[in-house]
Amino acid sequence: MLRAIWLTIQNEARLLLKDPIVLFMLLLAPVVIIAVAGYSLGNLYGNANALQLPLVDLDRGEVATGIVDALRREHSVALELVNNPDEARRMVSRRDRTPLAIEIPAGTSEAVAAGGEAHLILFVDPVRRIEVNALELRIGELCRKVTASAQARAQTRLAASRSDLQKKLQSLAAAIKQEQAQVRQQMEQTQAKVTASVHAQTAAVLERAGEDTKAIVTARENQAFADVKGQLSSREAILRDIQNYLLELKTSQRAFEDWLTLLKAKAGSHASDIPAPPGFPAPPSDAELAALAKPITLPAIDPSMPSTLAPEMFSVSIPKLPSIRDGDLLGELAHFRIAQVPTLPGGLGLFEQPATRGGAVVVNAFDQYVPGFGVTFLLIGMLLGISLTVFDEREWGTLKRMQVSGAPLAGLLLGKLIARFGVGTVQMILLFAVGWALFGISLGREPVALLLPMIGISFAAASFGLVIAAVARAHDSVMPLGAVTSMAMSAIGGCWWPLDFEPGWMRAVARCLPTTWTMQSFNDLMIRDLSVSAVMWPFVATVGLGIIYLAAGIVAMLSLGE
Amino acid sequence: MNPDERAPILEAIGISKSYGRRLALDNVTLGVRPGEIAGLLGPNGAGKTTTLSILSTVLRPDSGRVLIQGQPPAADPRGLCRMLGLVPQSLALYPTLSAAQNVWHFARVQGLSRAEASKSCAQVLREVGLDDRADDPMHSFSGGLKRRLNLACGIVHRPAILLLDEPTVGVDLQSREQILALVRRRADAGAGVIYSTHYMEEAERLCDRVLLIDRGRLIADGSVDELISLGGGRPRMELTYRGQLPAEWPESFAGVREIAPAGGEGIATLEMASLAQVRDVIQQLQASGVRVIDFSLHSPNLSDAFIALTGRTLRDNSQEAV
Repeated sequence: MLRAIWLTIQNEARLLLKDPIVLFMLLLAPVVIIAVAGYSLGNLYGNANALQLPLVDLDRGEVATGIVDALRREHSVALELVNNPDEARRMVSRRDRTPLAIEIPAGTSEAVAAGGEAHLILFVDPVRRIEVNALELRIGELCRKVTASAQARAQTRLAASRSDLQKKLQSLAAAIKQEQAQVRQQMEQTQAKVTASVHAQTAAVLERAGEDTKAIVTARENQAFADVKGQLSSREAILRDIQNYLLELKTSQRAFEDWLTLLKAKAGSHASDIPAPPGFPAPPSDAELAALAKPITLPAIDPSMPSTLAPEMFSVSIPKLPSIRDGDLLGELAHFRIAQVPTLPGGLGLFEQPATRGGAVVVNAFDQYVPGFGVTFLLIGMLLGISLTVFDEREWGTLKRMQVSGAPLAGLLLGKLIARFGVGTVQMILLFAVGWALFGISLGREPVALLLPMIGISFAAASFGLVIAAVARAHDSVMPLGAVTSMAMSAIGGCWWPLDFEPGWMRAVARCLPTTWTMQSFNDLMIRDLSVSAVMWPFVATVGLGIIYLAAGIVAMLSLGE
Repeated sequence: MNPDERAPILEAIGISKSYGRRLALDNVTLGVRPGEIAGLLGPNGAGKTTTLSILSTVLRPDSGRVLIQGQPPAADPRGLCRMLGLVPQSLALYPTLSAAQNVWHFARVQGLSRAEASKSCAQVLREVGLDDRADDPMHSFSGGLKRRLNLACGIVHRPAILLLDEPTVGVDLQSREQILALVRRRADAGAGVIYSTHYMEEAERLCDRVLLIDRGRLIADGSVDELISLGGGRPRMELTYRGQLPAEWPESFAGVREIAPAGGEGIATLEMASLAQVRDVIQQLQASGVRVIDFSLHSPNLSDAFIALTGRTLRDNSQEAV
């Protein structure tokens, strides 16, 4: 039993040592991935190379100086002063390790000194959101330190001023209190004098006015009495005339009646021939009767009173008010020179703007992960797909059989590549469609432009699959080699994390990988919202790398004696 | 017209090929005429597959040249190469595709139009007896069916030259008969066939001419009868024995010689001057204390010719195939 176990162990060890693929997977593959991840993510754990930080100082004041000095002391950033915001924006958009730029707007120092709210403008690249956040934390902390320092200085000055002011106020309060007592006393004296004067003058005027009024009233009453008396005399004469008339009439009437009776007796049958009776005396005239009927009118008495209360009758002289000691008070105030009260500095905030005009400052995480992992799985599929089918065809003999037809090997390989390239492009389109439908990823301002990086990476990946097929030499080597290569290319190329995490040498290596250019294109189109012209050069670079891979792969395959 | 009177449709002139330091082919010249089946006979590792690869233009020789209808393939790669039909030793098929799809693919690769391919596919599947399995995936076939499909894919475009690399290896009797019959029919229809095999019986039965190849060299080229006569036409005896052979044995018998021990210890192959010597040999062995367990006698054949020419048997498996 033990012998069997021992022999099995020995044999397993022999098999292991004879199998380079297992050794590769056990040792080299993890070392490669660990190295890539370690170097790439080292910055997150403090092994940071300084990030570039462009700064535009349009303020040139105390606050700007404080911020610039503080940033120069900050080891995690390399400050670079630039002249204008557009240049700063360009640097953020196009340079490595430059996730944001700062603009200190003109008037910032004045606004802060006046206690107002001022903002530093940050031009951020949303693609490098993680670095932006890290830098923003540092910059925010610096802003807090700058404003806190200014506030502390102002507090000290304010405390001194308050003490001085208190003393002055106390002195002033005593002076005012004294003045108040003096004024109160003088006011009381003046009030008494004025009251007495007014009382005396009023009494004299009223007495004289009463006398005058009495005389006028008496004269008017007499006049009215005489007038009424005249009217009554006139009417009495008329009444006597009427009385005489009425007596005469009465006498005439009796005479007439007697005459008539006599007449009628004498006339007998000739009574009808009797002439008209004699006339009566004339009655009083109508005017006399109207005058008699006229009501007695009372004489109008002039209601107006003589204006005896003329203003000039009053001559109230107000005694001179006591003089206030204004000279003393002004003197006090003149000495009341309060030291300039410092204003507490205002806050200094941060205001983000996208480095590329029209872009967003916040990113949908899927805008990074859909293309990132899409490219990764495209690579895995293409590298393994191409190389495994090449090996399969080699092992099956189908490749040789097709070559017999006179078809050149390069043509057969190209056909295989084109088919896989088509599949890869469709795969990417579907992935993006799913990403858009499920995760709401941005397709940029020109969704059709996304086809460029898709086509580029599909072509490059298909071509690189041929290189893997040539390098692997054996079917079993394809899987570990292809998987590790795909993962390394994805990681270094920025599919899994921002490129800026990586050290300089790794970023230089990344420039030789199609994944880098492709991710840059996707970021430009989807996150930075740039136009198709921005991805033309990355597309050319990706296709160029694909052509190099293709040429290398075909040459390698031909040299293998296919 | 007699095939011998026709110009070769395929020729290899002085071709050599090395793999590293090992010489796989050494100045080989051969050819095949229309309507002729030329058997390429040799043990494993003799250079048969290399020869066929060079003849099929897949492999470039280090020296020498190949002519198809008297022209180098480069003169008209598409036209001349499409005259070739290669049936490789390995199954050059797509396992997940159906029989019809496999045949269709190679028909199209060989330049047939859609209509021609449809017609030719149906016909060739009928010829190889796979018309009822046309839609089944290749991986579901037995070994014999796979071999037949492999053959169908090589002949679907009705090539003027057929290059068959051990097409009957590992097949059942029925499939083997079908394959041999089909090859014969194609030759009768005018195709020139180079048939690589290490089965002597197949070569004797099928081939009009046999090319004996060993260690990269063409050692004989002629009809079956001509080659057998090269071997001297002497009978051969195979002995199975137990015990220690006598020291001077078998030289003590005039005209008897031991051929290189092919079967290992306890087996000996003797070339006899005549059948009358059989009894004497057995008696001497028994007298020497050697127990003869079994023995067999063989008429002269290609194997004997090969042995006569090389001193080794055809079924020497000591070397890997090239």
